[in-house]
Amino acid sequence: MNQPAVKLEHVTKQIGRKTIIKDLTFDIYSGEVFGFLGPNGAGKTTTIRMIVGLMKISQGNIFIHGKSIKTEFKQAIKHIGAIVENPEMYKYLSGYNNLVHYARMINGVSKERIDEVVKLVGLSDRIHDKVKRYSLGMRQRLGLAQALLHSPDVLILDEPTNGLDPAGIREMRQHIRKLAQEEGIAVIVSSHLLSEMELMCDRIGIIQKGKLIGVQTVNEFIHSDTNQQVQFYVDKPKKSSQVIIDSLSLSNVIQGDTYIELSIIKEQIPLVCEALIKADIKLYNIKTLEKTLEEKFLEVTGGVSVG
Amino acid sequence: MANFFNLIQNENMKIYRKSATKIMFIILFALILTAGLIIKFGTHEKAISDNWKQELIAQNKQDQKVMAKMSGNAKNYYQERIAKNDYRIEHDLKPTTGKNIWNFTDDATNNLMTVIILFTIIVVSTSISSEFSWGTIKLLLIRPVSRTSVLLSKYISALIYAVVMILFMFVVSWLIGGILFGFGGLSAANLQYVDGHVFETNWVVYELKQYGLLSITLVMMVTLAAMIASIFRNSALAIGISIFLTMGGSIIVEILSRFDWVKYILFVNMDLHQYINGTPFQKGMTMGFSLSVLAVYFIIFVILGWLFFTKRDVAA
Ligand SMILES: Nc1ncnc2c1ncn2[C@@H]1O[C@H](COP(=O)(O)OP(=O)(O)O)[C@@H](O)[C@H]1O
Ligand SMILES: [Mg+2]
Repeated sequence: MNQPAVKLEHVTKQIGRKTIIKDLTFDIYSGEVFGFLGPNGAGKTTTIRMIVGLMKISQGNIFIHGKSIKTEFKQAIKHIGAIVENPEMYKYLSGYNNLVHYARMINGVSKERIDEVVKLVGLSDRIHDKVKRYSLGMRQRLGLAQALLHSPDVLILDEPTNGLDPAGIREMRQHIRKLAQEEGIAVIVSSHLLSEMELMCDRIGIIQKGKLIGVQTVNEFIHSDTNQQVQFYVDKPKKSSQVIIDSLSLSNVIQGDTYIELSIIKEQIPLVCEALIKADIKLYNIKTLEKTLEEKFLEVTGGVSVG
Repeated sequence: MANFFNLIQNENMKIYRKSATKIMFIILFALILTAGLIIKFGTHEKAISDNWKQELIAQNKQDQKVMAKMSGNAKNYYQERIAKNDYRIEHDLKPTTGKNIWNFTDDATNNLMTVIILFTIIVVSTSISSEFSWGTIKLLLIRPVSRTSVLLSKYISALIYAVVMILFMFVVSWLIGGILFGFGGLSAANLQYVDGHVFETNWVVYELKQYGLLSITLVMMVTLAAMIASIFRNSALAIGISIFLTMGGSIIVEILSRFDWVKYILFVNMDLHQYINGTPFQKGMTMGFSLSVLAVYFIIFVILGWLFFTKRDVAA
């Protein structure tokens, strides 16, 4: 029952003499949104191409609900709905005919199902227009519709918010969360933008230069820090910082108008309080500053910009 | 999983809904109409007089004289004409001119087969490579359908397109021929000369046989184009090379004709007329030889095209 929906085992991709993907191993489970995060050129699209069988896997294997995409392609791929990079459609056909086209390629997609999916992505009004007259946002929705046609168990979206306006991004996020929570679909979303991942993912895997740097839950990701920024609101900030420097031999004390800010581990918080109270300083409030994913990400990747 | 018929339906939808395809039908129609109008109004063929039997007898006499001075294959043409004239006189079959519905259909369609071959090359090349240039291949190949089936459906739907075009060409030529030259000409006899004998044959069956022979060239060139398209994934290149070879094949053959091995070149073997009512390109070439050579080329094209389409990474 607890078989992963998608399982990557030591996946490596070489093109020519270049190793683009190095030994990726991770599992994705039904009902979760897995964020695949990394700067441009990190290898997200290449990994996705291997998961859906567009590119051969040089070493290792990928299983979809236990079926190898290498050796049981049809059995594995029927579970997957995907958009790889931009959702390119036949521009001279209507959105509807594009969906009919993909519906014909898999058993059991009825006309009612097509209408249902069109409604779900909110394209009912324009579905009979030619795709060349669609905006980028509408194309993304049509892309989502074709991916959902056959009610897949695994949904893979490569940078799905590319080119969407803020409202479109919010809507896409809601779709994704709903699909995972209500329909138990395993969703893989790639992005180079952290701010998005934080809001829609359960777990995040960070990839850089073809290597997986780490997989963590979004919560862990933000909290796992050994050192946290903690602000202590006190009546005498100047005296406080002196006390702390003397008694706890901490450097890097930031002194504000009404507070001091320290970079410490959780266990040091009571020690700081004790020292302040002993020195007869009034302590009003303690505030832990949570790092954003962005800051955390910069730390993990060694300060490489993520665009 | 999904049945093959569905894939053909998809490819047909993509072919016939494209405006380029519609334009191809219009061009073919326009070419036939133009040819008809030129023959109707631009040519002055002497009408067949009531005295045609005397004229044929006179022509036969003339031909006999010319033929006496000739030897070998050159005689064939005159022998055939004399035999056909005799047959007409004997069976009271008045000759026809080019301004006859059947003669027009025959001329127009045989000449326009090249156009259909070119159009089909374009259709099969774009059908394969535009999926790559537009990026739609990424959504096409992530379905529970083998790449082999996808490629085969494209190939077969292109051949279906060729058949549709041929039927369209035949019907339009026949209608335009009838409208311009009168449906009265339908009774014209189709005389064929084989092994010294003249016999009458049904026009429709005859035309279908003609198209059948020309279709060997069509199938070979379309298969070649499909192979090039799946190797290079680039329609301009596939169309360019295939059209160049279709048009320039005979020139290449001409240049190389002094070599013995020229008989193994594709273009020398595609025209099977040479064994039916012509002379083989080189001594010793037979229908069986050409069919074998064609089969070898065909198998090579299919295997290469298939390998490149099914085994290579999709990085588009
Ligand atoms: N077909 C290819 N041949 C050679 N290198 C490639 C090919 N496709 C991608 N790459 C390289 O692989 C790396 C990863 O690319 P990609 O997977 O597209 O990254 P991402 O989707 O994370 O932006 C890049 O450095 C890119 O240049
Ligand atoms: Mg990418």
